[in-house]
This record gives sequence, structure tokens and C-alpha cells, in this order.
Amino acid sequence: MSTIAALTKPQILNLYRQYIRTAKDFTSYNFREYFLRKARRDFRLYKDQIKTEEDALAKFNMIREELAILKRQSIISEMYTFDKLVVEPIKTPK
Amino acid sequence: MFRTVLKQSAIIAKQQQKSLLFKTATTGINTGALRFYSAASTLSKDDITKRVIDVVKSFDKATAAKENITAQTTFHKDLGLDSLDTVELLVAVEEEFDIEIPDKVADELKSVGETINYISSNPEAN
Amino acid sequence: MLRHTTTRLLNNISTRNAINRTTIAAALRVIPTRKSLATSATKSKAKHDEDIDDFKLVVHTSADSKPAASKKTAADASSPGSNALKYAYQERSGFGTRPIYLDVQATTPTDPRVLDQMLKFFTGLYGNPHSNTHSYGWETNNEIEKARENVAKVIGANPKEIIFTSGATESNNMALKGVARFYKKTKNHIITTRTEHKCVLEAARAMKNEGYDITFLNVNEQGLIDLKELEKAIRPETCLVSVMAVNNEIGVMQPIKEIGSICRKHKVFFHTDAAQAYGKIPLDVNEMNIDLMSVSSHKIYGPKGVGAIYVRRRPRVRLEPIISGGGQERGLRSGTLSPPLVCGFGEAARLVREEYEADSEHIKKLSKKLTDGLLSIEQTTLNGSPIHHFPGCVNISFAYVEGESLLMALRDIALSSGSACTSASLEPSYVLHALGKDDALAHSSIRFGIGRFTTEEEIDYVIKAIKERVEFLRELSPLWEMVKEGIDLNSIEWSGH
Repeated sequence: MSTIAALTKPQILNLYRQYIRTAKDFTSYNFREYFLRKARRDFRLYKDQIKTEEDALAKFNMIREELAILKRQSIISEMYTFDKLVVEPIKTPK
Repeated sequence: MFRTVLKQSAIIAKQQQKSLLFKTATTGINTGALRFYSAASTLSKDDITKRVIDVVKSFDKATAAKENITAQTTFHKDLGLDSLDTVELLVAVEEEFDIEIPDKVADELKSVGETINYISSNPEAN
Repeated sequence: MLRHTTTRLLNNISTRNAINRTTIAAALRVIPTRKSLATSATKSKAKHDEDIDDFKLVVHTSADSKPAASKKTAADASSPGSNALKYAYQERSGFGTRPIYLDVQATTPTDPRVLDQMLKFFTGLYGNPHSNTHSYGWETNNEIEKARENVAKVIGANPKEIIFTSGATESNNMALKGVARFYKKTKNHIITTRTEHKCVLEAARAMKNEGYDITFLNVNEQGLIDLKELEKAIRPETCLVSVMAVNNEIGVMQPIKEIGSICRKHKVFFHTDAAQAYGKIPLDVNEMNIDLMSVSSHKIYGPKGVGAIYVRRRPRVRLEPIISGGGQERGLRSGTLSPPLVCGFGEAARLVREEYEADSEHIKKLSKKLTDGLLSIEQTTLNGSPIHHFPGCVNISFAYVEGESLLMALRDIALSSGSACTSASLEPSYVLHALGKDDALAHSSIRFGIGRFTTEEEIDYVIKAIKERVEFLRELSPLWEMVKEGIDLNSIEWSGH
């Protein structure tokens, strides 16, 4: 990402895929749901509102930085876990 | 990363339980590596089809008639999903089968049938 | 005939609240006391510890008392007349047991992004931010100053005007005591309101003991102060007006901008306790003529134990420090700052600005759903102004249901009947009293707090649960039976002893 090259669609979709996967790794229901909601909102805004390539790249890098944070934090959340909430289905092993 | 390692070893353990044949055949050999080169998934195609369709049905953004989902159903034209929705649906499929679909493959999957075919070819799916 | 039965039922019982509590306790006989819950909770923890999963290094389950409680219910279910709590502790099989958190006015969960910022101060960045002779101090100080800037930006202040404290309680004490003491030679009067947070009321009371005169402004039934009354109350010797921006119990927003311009006109300092408002409603210290503002970190998804006070520099507000020492924080608050807390707060402030639109939109949507859902139950009212209202705080009265028993019947939802600071006492809320609500209605009120991490699914669950349990508790209430039969409760002559 050294030069301002146009971002390709697969690049953005891959970032989205990684963000969603990471959000789903949070063991806390509320954090998981929040970051999924945030991903959906942010990427839709990204798609609909960002016009210039500079803005697109800035936003892309911002989300990438946040993804790095979420990757660390989702691991921490797996180390300190709590009971599931009353709205959370307990997954039974297949 | 630490987690993925754990996850993979869990998957291997599961596979060993499932198939006695492999367990005896692979004692002392790296099971994971062996399985990569072996043929298709241990799951039956019917089972995969049913489970993929269930995931699609429970995906709340799929707008089209959910009763008529078949292998021919396409994500964009039939279900009204855009590219972001499709990514999300495929992540839900990944979760169901405990796999990670590589980016390049995922970008090409456009229909329920293609997804089923990919999973049938993935030995890690379970 | 009916009147005869009810009188008999009500014999020996003097108040409405007592009826509900005793009737319910008798009918259920299984409401666990806090003590018994605590002991059974330890038992359940012991059980959990046995089957610790390798993946989880630490399992925190002790806080949850529900599994134990439900076991109790199952055991008691065979005894007659005690099936009531099956509603309270009903377990949906296949679901978790931890309650839904709906008490964000008390505190909020720490955002993972905030925690991520804090961790480096526990690993490498351990320098004292006030050490200016080496790079360990400088690097930490840089981070502190970034945090200060983020905290200032939310309210349009200059970073130099932000003083970090231990929280909004300290900030409020600093404002009331500090300003009053500094100007004591010429001024001796403070104006505040009856619905302030306990710490402002208590600080004001302390100043009364030091010889200051305090005016407590009344609020109307909407919870709003009268601006004319405020203007009339200002005297030449008034040094400070303190009015909270958003009320912690009912979510009512006071007209801060108007109050600010009145204070500026009369050259009186204006302090606002913005613990519940900061980052949640638009605030600008210059546009609103605010001279001092108290803010708290843990109400905006930051860490607990840190807050700040905004102190205006032009025109300068002087205050006497409460904590003396090395002269940190412009000499107003000595003591080494905690870099992890301060920078966690800074990150929380940055996020609250960045997520403002998304958060407000989300909270507004869920609040509307919750309010509509709960007000569709008959005989319920929203407390406080519905217009000058922060949507994240919904306070509703359920007539003919006692708040504490409803909370007992709602073990699967973490709620409060008012301020966390006063929930130790069973006294009805003084805030609702100030609005002119009677004891019974004040007792039957519950506050629902919606925040960034609340989900729509949770709100759906809560609406359904409240509907069921309110209906159930009302079935037990003889008063409700009378209301249903069309008897005007005010016309009853209660027999007393």
C-alpha cells in the first residue's frame, strides 16, 4: 500500500471477510454483534459514499488498523470467558 | 494464530475419531498433511447440500423465496445478495463446516451448487 | 362482598408497597434472599471449576447466580403455591444463563478497542508521565497529551482546559467546593437542582455546613427546571450554578444552552455534571457558555476510575484544589496520573466522537422499540419529558407492581430501579419524588439503559419478559384485581389498626 493505487474490489471484499471472521471470534455476544453491525454499516457507507481514491484508501487503512486491534482483542476475549447470555443459543457439537 | 493452531488440532482429533481406518493407517504420520492430498470430504453430498441450504435459509438478508432453494440458486440473481452479503453468507458456511474458504475460491463462488461442490472437495470440512 | 374480602386481605397491612411485597413473598415462598443466592453461587462456581476447558485459561462464572437459583426453583416447584418463580427463572433450554445488561447508566462495558490502547502501559510504557528528564517519561506524557486532546475535542474545549480526575464524583466535588472556597470572601451562594446526582447534592450539603447558602431549584413534572426561577434565584453573592445536563435516572436533558446564557449575563459561573451526557448529546462549552463540566470515562465505554473536569481559561475560572501535592494538572489536582486509565479514557472519547452517528442512530431505534413495547402494557407511564430526553435512558412506572419485586422476578435482565448509588436503600427515588410522583409510583419504576453494545434481539427479549412478569405480578395483587373491576382506589376507606 505504498502508492495510491486504486483498490480492487476483491481487496475490499477480502478485508470485509477478514473483519467478519474476526468479529465472530469474540466470545462476548455483545462485542461480536456490535462489530458485525459495525462492519455491515461501515462497508456499506464505504461502498455508497466514498468517492475519491484518497478517501477510499484512507478508510481502507483505518479499517485495516482496526482489524489488527480486533484480532488481538478477540484472542484476549477467548482467554477470559464468561457464561453465555440468555439470548445466546449454546451450540451443540455436531 | 495461537487459536488457529488449537482449532486445527481439534479438527484433526475429530477426524481421527471419525475414521478408524485413518487412525490405524496414520499412526505416527502427520494426519493433517496426509488428508490434504487425499480425496474428497468424508461427508456425503446429500448431507452437505442439506446443510448449505439450511445456512442460506437462515441468512436473514436473503430476500427471495426461501422455500425453493436448490443447487441452481444463485446468490446475486436469485437471492438478491450483493457482493458484501455474499461474503457474509460464505463466512456463515465456513462456520457451519469449520473451514476457511481461501479468498480466491470464495470470490468465485456464485451459487449454492458451486459452494456445495467446493465443500465436497474440501477434506477438512466436517 | 368484594370490599369485604379485600379489607380482610389488607388487614394489618398499612401501605400498598407492603401488600405487594408480603403477598408475593408468601405466595412464592422461594424468592431467594441475597445471602442465599450468594452461597448457592459459590457452589455453582465450584462445579464449573471442575470442568474447565483447556481453551479457556480463566472462567469467570461466580458473578452469575442464576443456575443456582433455578435449581432452587426446581426443588421448590413441587410444593404448592410456589410455581410463580418459574416465570422469573424460566430457563430456555439451549440458551445461556448470564443476564442481559441493561444498566448502562450505572456503567458501560469497556470497549475492546479501549482495552487495546491500555495494555501497552502495563507492558512497556511504564514511565511516569511527569518525569521530564528521560524518554520513559516523555513517551508516556505524549500519550497523555493525545488523550487530553481527544477528551477536549468532544466538547469543543482547549486541551489545556481539561484536568484529569478520578471520576465525575471527584470532578463535581472539585467544582462545587473548589469554586465556592476560592471566592468565599465575596460570595457565599450556590444554586443547584433537586434532581442532581447524589454527589452534587452531598457536596452542596457539605458547603452548607461551611456556611454557604444553597438554593435547590424545583423541577416540574417533566423533570425540567424553570429558567425564570433560576434567574430570580441568582443574587450578587452567587458564585456558582450547577445543573446536570442529562439526568441519570430519567434521562431528562436540561436546557443547558439557555442556562449558560443566563449565567453569563449575570456573571455567575456555570457548572454542569455531564457524566451521562458527554459524548451522547451534542455539547460545546463555548456555544453553551459552560464554565466547568464534569465527565466520566466509564459511562462512555472507557475504564472505571478516571474522569475529568473542564475548567474554562477565558474568562478564567479559579478554584481551590481539594488535593494538594506536586502541582500536576495545572496545580488543580496533584498526584501522578494513571496513564492506562487516562489513555483508555482518551481512546473512549475518540471513539465516542467517531461512532457518534452510528451509536445515536442505534440507541434511538432500540429506545423507540423498547418504549413503544413497554408502554403498550396497560397502566404504564414514561417518567420525565418525552421530548427533552436522552433516548438511551428509559424510565417507566408499572402501576400496581412493586419495582423491587419486579426486579426480583427479572433475574435474567440486569436492571435498576434508579441510581446505583442509592440502590442499597429501599427508599423510593428522590428524583421521581421531585417530579411529583407518589411513593407507590416511584416504587414501581424501573430504568432501562440502552448503549452501544445493546442488540435488537435483547430488546425483543426484554419486552416479552417484562410483559409476562408484570402481568404475573399484577395477578397476585388485590389492588390490581380491584382496578380491573373498575373500583376507584381513592374511594376506598382503608381499615387500619
